Amino acid sequence: MKGRNATRSIYYIIAYFFAAISLYPILLMIYSSFKTNAELFKNPLSIPKSFSLETYQKLLDQIPFFTYFWNSVIVSSVSVTCILLFGSLAAFYIARYTFWWNNLLFFFFLLGMMIPIKLGIVPLFMLMKDLSLINSLWSLIFIYTATGIPLSILILTGFFRTMPVELEEAARMDGATDIKVFWHVLLPIMRPALGTVMIINFIQSWNDFFFPLIFITDEMKKTIPVGMLSLFGEYSADWGSLFAGLTLSSLPMIVLFFIASKQFMEGLTAGAVK
Amino acid sequence: MKRMLSKFLGALLLISLVLVGCSSETDGDETGSEDGVVLTIGSWRTEDTAAYEKIIEAFNEEHPDIKVEFKPSKNTEYNTILNTALQSGEGPDIIQLRPYAPGMELAKAGYLEPLDELNGIDVFSEEVISAATSDDGKIYGVPLSLNSAQMFYNKKIFEEHGLEEPKTWDEFIELNEKLKEEGVTPIALGTKEGWLLSLAHSIVGPAHYGANDFVDQITTGEKTFTSDEFVSSLKAMDELKEYFPDNYEGLGMEDIRTLFFSGKAAMFPLGSWEIEVLREMNPDLELGFFPMPSAVGKEPTMTTWVDGSYGLNANSKHKEEAKKFLEFMTTEKFAKLFSDELMRIPAIPGVETDDELVTKMAEASEQYSTAYMMLVHFNEGNPTTKAALEAELQGMYLGEQSPEDVAKKLQKNAKTYFTR
Amino acid sequence: MQLETKPNVQTGTKQKKDWKKWVIHLFPIPALAIYVLFIIYPLFAAFTYSLFDWQGIKRGAFIGIENFISLFTKQPFNDMFWNAFQNNILYFVLEMIVQNGIAFVLAYIIYKKVKGAEFFKIAYFLPRLLSVIIVGFLWKLILNPNFGALNVFLNKIGLESWAKPWLGDPDTALIAIILVNSWFGLGFAVLIFLAGLQGIPTNLIEAARLDGAKGLTLICKIILPLMAPAITIITVLTFIHAFEAFELVYAMEGSMGEPYYSTDTLAVYFYRLAFGGSGGASSVAIGLGSALAVVLFTIIATISAVFLYILRKREVEM
Repeated sequence: MKGRNATRSIYYIIAYFFAAISLYPILLMIYSSFKTNAELFKNPLSIPKSFSLETYQKLLDQIPFFTYFWNSVIVSSVSVTCILLFGSLAAFYIARYTFWWNNLLFFFFLLGMMIPIKLGIVPLFMLMKDLSLINSLWSLIFIYTATGIPLSILILTGFFRTMPVELEEAARMDGATDIKVFWHVLLPIMRPALGTVMIINFIQSWNDFFFPLIFITDEMKKTIPVGMLSLFGEYSADWGSLFAGLTLSSLPMIVLFFIASKQFMEGLTAGAVK
Repeated sequence: MKRMLSKFLGALLLISLVLVGCSSETDGDETGSEDGVVLTIGSWRTEDTAAYEKIIEAFNEEHPDIKVEFKPSKNTEYNTILNTALQSGEGPDIIQLRPYAPGMELAKAGYLEPLDELNGIDVFSEEVISAATSDDGKIYGVPLSLNSAQMFYNKKIFEEHGLEEPKTWDEFIELNEKLKEEGVTPIALGTKEGWLLSLAHSIVGPAHYGANDFVDQITTGEKTFTSDEFVSSLKAMDELKEYFPDNYEGLGMEDIRTLFFSGKAAMFPLGSWEIEVLREMNPDLELGFFPMPSAVGKEPTMTTWVDGSYGLNANSKHKEEAKKFLEFMTTEKFAKLFSDELMRIPAIPGVETDDELVTKMAEASEQYSTAYMMLVHFNEGNPTTKAALEAELQGMYLGEQSPEDVAKKLQKNAKTYFTR
Repeated sequence: MQLETKPNVQTGTKQKKDWKKWVIHLFPIPALAIYVLFIIYPLFAAFTYSLFDWQGIKRGAFIGIENFISLFTKQPFNDMFWNAFQNNILYFVLEMIVQNGIAFVLAYIIYKKVKGAEFFKIAYFLPRLLSVIIVGFLWKLILNPNFGALNVFLNKIGLESWAKPWLGDPDTALIAIILVNSWFGLGFAVLIFLAGLQGIPTNLIEAARLDGAKGLTLICKIILPLMAPAITIITVLTFIHAFEAFELVYAMEGSMGEPYYSTDTLAVYFYRLAFGGSGGASSVAIGLGSALAVVLFTIIATISAVFLYILRKREVEM
């Protein structure tokens, strides 16, 4: 029994140690943003002497943060919705039917996971131009949907395969169509996997900076990461503002995470390995 | 639990559908609503936005019908964004060009409109205009400013330690020794970011390779990078590391700037554009500069080059209007605004500035000018010879190779495209 | 467009049956259309660039595989390629050991029902929410040699000699970046391992226990083999991620993989070739860049295909 207690203590030590490593830099970022530059350089580790929101006020006066925020919300939620819908439709088709080309189709989709689409940025830009999507949020929605589809199909196909065929057969006996089976029978029990796909892609599209960098030059159409990027160039010597900018960029995602952390976790664990 | 998630999903779906509706509406009326011409200017100078607003205001006094938007992108991503857009036949109407070869690469690819016929282009001296002249002899840019690189110093620290501006290389080294002994970091320089190294070399190097004479010889092929003159300039760079701050391998631009303006280091080898930033960070800083004294018995040197010309996009839909703005950029009115707002030396000759230090620097630049050799003549190749110098110097400071090795590698790089 | 799947599925007359038969083939169409248009087509177009001679950013004549030959035989391109390739491999190996090794231990601890499991999961996952570019900036500040929190901390606890210019020393720079990356990716790996652990039928473990297996033997002989799918997935994702490593290096060490190419990766090298690097550090070489892209793709696709093949084979066996 003693041995077991010792092992458990070691478990706790390890677990807390890595929790501290994971959390401390983020806390450091947040509380550093309240410090003055002099304080930061003199003693980077200490807790700030006073909490002043002045730096934030200054940043918010200078950049249209809420516009960036709103753009990020639109882009991320629309592309996630598209990924969920299109991805699950395709995954259902691949997993539940046995046409000879299904495996081929599956691997064709997976190819997209294996190569950074950055490599094709010039043709992609021309394509967006021809579709007159430059400086439109749609350019981002399309590209995030497209880049999100491969991983979603991988996860969802795996999940569809694990589902008992009996459910579907029972529904078909009652005369349900493919669409009905998909929409009313399978999708509802797929929620955990859909949650996984949703979360992964939401984080991905929320945090990307490369595509908005190239496609968006209009200040009012920028998303958070790319909008804040120019700020970092301007304030490179002003660490107080830098930390505030970093915090401001990360905060929406962290808040959202805490609101829905349970769903996040359930979703991630449930659908990831099937 | 499941219900929560499904509600969340449902809400998300609903929100996004509504949002798509909204966003597509705003997309629609964005382009159609403007009647007049809107010109865009592309640049990497995000920090100059406020100054350009004033410049554009002045332009609009004469041309109220032309709306101009200054749209800078972050320095490090500027080329990526610009190249992608140009290749697709897009891009801003007026394009800020990287000086010398990289900027002229755009001209060679046909993305720029020749500007030989532009009114006012003849105000620039031949040397200045050469920065925006391509191999075909045509002019593709309106030069913006003259940059100079020099050793800045903190006058207060010099006073406290009884030091004066050095007149010879030996005096310069003595001064460094003294500062070091007395516990002050002599030179604020870090080797983490390569471009700082080629810039520092442009300040220190001419004192050893013998400034313009050597530049002429190497560009005509009489001398090479492995010639003794050049190797000695690399050795000098190596020696100076004694006077760099602790941990210099890990210091970048912001760190060395902070060391300097906070009074922890005495000297700062950098470009004229830093004046504005330094003053903003520490208004009490007593800033001075000195031309680099020669180690081979020649005149001291100020390193100069033409920075950031403005070119005209060959695919612009508003070329006539854009030319009007470019013409405005050749006027003294513009030059005055530019130097007052940004504290930099305009490329247009004979413009007085209100700032004492800037004026002094402009004079010294004229008197002791030597070219930023790597930027002006060796900024081609893959990587460019300039970038190779940066990387190889890093290697030298990290103790991986000798100055001679650096020279050999540069020569090898230059040979791939430089065949004169 | 989302709504079209909902209505008109109530009745099932004979006529409609035929219609229903082919309607299933519409299911993958939206995904396929977007995917082909925005991923496959641009990539394919970019690949064809590798067969042309480029002057700066303008396309020249068709030159076959000359770009590929240059990439592997001409200096400095070949040196840079192999240097970056080695760094990518180190990236992969270290991530497997550090990130995934620690993640497995942590997942196992949570699986053993420690108190506060929810807290731990959240804590480990939190860094994953930040944008990579933000992570890069944040750690650049923390690792700053003179004002950064890490060195200040080391000095405080009397380990002055440990304080280093982490990102400026070629011996530590790449490792520092990989560790930051592990910090970022740890939580995700924990969750996948945890899912794998929880997917193991408890009766199998109980049976092994009764046979006398415990501790490390239990983990190595029973648990690890049963977690094969999770391990394969993590391996594939880590591999792809390591060979696409770009953003973090770019944010922390720029487009030249400073210092002295010690943090260069293939994707950073590609960026340098295709876009000329930050502030024009090299001339744009789109032909070479595209050739590198093709090579990079071939490496990633071949190796992950092998991994995935093994994964699916196992699935069938189980």
